[in-house]
Amino acid sequence: MTAVRDAPSEPRERRRSRQGAAAVRRYGLVVLLALLLPLFALLAPAFATYGNALIVLQSVAVVGVVALGVTVSMTTGGFDLSAGACVGFVVMITATTMVRFNLTGGTAVVAGLAAGLVVAGVNVLLTVVAKVPDLVATLGTMFLFQGLALIVTSGQSVSAGMTVDGAPAPGRYTEGFAWLGGGTVASIPVPVVVFALLAVAVHVFLVHTRWGRALYAIGGNAEAARLAGIRVARYRAAAYAVSGLCAAVGGILLSARLGRGDVGAGDPYLLQSVAAALIGFAVLGADRPNAVGTVVGALFIGVVINGLTMLNAPYYAQTFVQGALLIGSLVVSYTGRGERKST
Amino acid sequence: MIQAEPVVSVSGLAKRYGATWALRDVTVEIRPGEVVGLIGTNGAGKSTLIRVLSGATRPTAGTVRLGGREFRPGAPLDAIAAGVQTVHQNIDDGIVFGTTVADNLTLDVLARGGSGWFTTRARTRARAREIAAAVGLDAPLDAPVEALPASERQRIVIARAVARRPRLLILDEPTSTLSFVEAGVLLETVRDMAASGVAVLYVSHRLAEVEDVCHRVVVLRDGEVRRTLPAPVDRAAVVEAMLGDLAATPRAAGPREAPEGPAVPVLRATGIRTRPGARPFDLEVRPGEILGVVGLVGSGKTELLEQLYGLRPATGDLRLDGRPYRPRDPHDAVRAGVAFAAEERSAQAIVPGWSVRAHVTLPRLAAHSRAGLLRRRSEQDSAAAVMRRFGVRASGPDAPIGTLSGGNQQKVVVGRWLEAVPRLLLLDEPFRGVDVGARADIGRTLAGHAAGMGVVVASSDPQEVLDLAGRILVLHDGDPAGEIDAAGATTARLAALMSGRAA
Repeated sequence: MTAVRDAPSEPRERRRSRQGAAAVRRYGLVVLLALLLPLFALLAPAFATYGNALIVLQSVAVVGVVALGVTVSMTTGGFDLSAGACVGFVVMITATTMVRFNLTGGTAVVAGLAAGLVVAGVNVLLTVVAKVPDLVATLGTMFLFQGLALIVTSGQSVSAGMTVDGAPAPGRYTEGFAWLGGGTVASIPVPVVVFALLAVAVHVFLVHTRWGRALYAIGGNAEAARLAGIRVARYRAAAYAVSGLCAAVGGILLSARLGRGDVGAGDPYLLQSVAAALIGFAVLGADRPNAVGTVVGALFIGVVINGLTMLNAPYYAQTFVQGALLIGSLVVSYTGRGERKST
Repeated sequence: MIQAEPVVSVSGLAKRYGATWALRDVTVEIRPGEVVGLIGTNGAGKSTLIRVLSGATRPTAGTVRLGGREFRPGAPLDAIAAGVQTVHQNIDDGIVFGTTVADNLTLDVLARGGSGWFTTRARTRARAREIAAAVGLDAPLDAPVEALPASERQRIVIARAVARRPRLLILDEPTSTLSFVEAGVLLETVRDMAASGVAVLYVSHRLAEVEDVCHRVVVLRDGEVRRTLPAPVDRAAVVEAMLGDLAATPRAAGPREAPEGPAVPVLRATGIRTRPGARPFDLEVRPGEILGVVGLVGSGKTELLEQLYGLRPATGDLRLDGRPYRPRDPHDAVRAGVAFAAEERSAQAIVPGWSVRAHVTLPRLAAHSRAGLLRRRSEQDSAAAVMRRFGVRASGPDAPIGTLSGGNQQKVVVGRWLEAVPRLLLLDEPFRGVDVGARADIGRTLAGHAAGMGVVVASSDPQEVLDLAGRILVLHDGDPAGEIDAAGATTARLAALMSGRAA
């Protein structure tokens, strides 16, 4: 009998703790970001300067652009692990186009975007056509294009004046192309402008267009989407294409900022962009990949990394911190998911 | 007649899930050497009973006694230890692919850890040979298990179950993936098992098998034992008990007149067959007509509808409004004006977390958008229209679908197709898990909207179809068993046709 009498109070307690957990998931990240900013500013006065804010935004921009693509690939239940490798591959392709083949910056942009589509094409072949699980398929693509970037450049970095076949390379980064990385529009760096525009575009695409709705439907219940007449395979292919193009844009911006084709330039971007997208899952209770959340996630990661750098944390600790952030975001994204509205 | 003590005796068993009772006051006894058939439509409570007996779930009330002692398994392993073996419907759950037949046969020895630290090929083979011999399985022991046909794989699973010397063996639709000959071999094994003193609970949708092998048949309906029939089992009586309320068979609605005149049929299928090897037949649905398709589980209803919706390759010649129709996928079908509400609502229609509005507009996103941008107003109106027309009880179009009852969810996933005015509406078990009120709402609205379009309603409950359809096609085991006018039909006659008795 006691069990019966106790019964009503127990669910109420559980409900309260569940609501508490939901609130932490929903607002926790925004609150944490709001707390970190004054903390870093207090500990490192240089953190809270306009110049540093631009630096943070600029580094966030490339991560964010790539993360927006990863977000789109996740909407259908996919997962693009090749995004970072795609960034690196595009950096090498754009550098090679201008430095070794002496072509224009415009050609380099087109070549970079095309390279992104090639990566996406391989992903589509593997996941949609060959039905390899997304995670392992894109892992394979990642190594494939990391390796291909090395082969294209014989394992060397590509920069103006490098020696090719005994003679100096004919070309260099064009001014127009370099503007993409270092220029400003109304005193805002170009990459930040591109990131902002792309964020708005992806948000509108996912939330307000029928194509975005279809992508989310596939991610929510692919069978229900198929039976409603949605061509699931095409949408999944399109999601990877968007992801590849976003990574290519990120690669172009990065290449322009570096002014050279560095070996391994794209390597950090996988971890950071995936973490940003996963952190974004839970922001404001969206409970699914979403553009706003990804922007917040990218900002969060940028602020943490920059703040720690300002506090003289050693550079070699960065990977550890990013790994911890990724694991934290995975736990937040997946652990609370059972709690969403029943059925 | 001397009766041995029952191996298992279930009394007053009840199981509640939320507000619904999956089982109510179920009392069953099985004696050693007895094969008891358990039969019922989907949702009758068969699976729940199996889950209770196999320790997968605990009953809300009632007791189970095994060999005279109270039996309260906390987990499936407890049940296995107590001598209850369950062979589940999906046999490949019990198979480890990529290993040999011998490895699969001796899995339990491995799991028990009784074979020392090292396994040797010779020891494994010797043990496997013993286990195989017990059920007369003569598959090559070194063959990779995936090289075996489904029936042999299933016998591996059964052999393992038998090797544990169970007191009660539960077979859950063991023949659903087997051919006729393979099923015959299985039934022989079941008989041998019973002869050796094992109690067998045999769950199947195939009446012929139940008739063949069972000593008694327990019929479940709505979670209650409706009848217990001794052998020889009368098939028609079983079907009657499964479907219930055959005494009162007047059609609830007035007979729907099949529209007269030379109208071009919405759908004409020539030489269509439910599965390879089944008898081909012709099918016609006229504008304004509701065609019922009834048959027991596995009779081919779903296969028929799936062909019409592009979900599996179409057989025969299909014509929609007189034009050739051969959909490659559901997208083609939807564009041609065909709509389909699938059997499993939660797996095949519901997107978790989505609102009523998003469910309503999902099949017609293009119609609710301009230049790709979704128009909230248009979506909202459409959802409100469906809710009004079907009397959906929900807080509004933005209510998450999960907050609606099953019946109201069903109204949404059926009703959304009527927003588009399809040519042909295909409904697979539209009333399953749907309360009586919602059923009536859906039926009434369908009848009111059928003008001009054709509707096909598939169901394993003839009563549901009688209320709605003008003509009824009966399927039995993949073959057409008759097509009758609903006006002259009774549930008893339909039940006889469904059970494979020519009427």
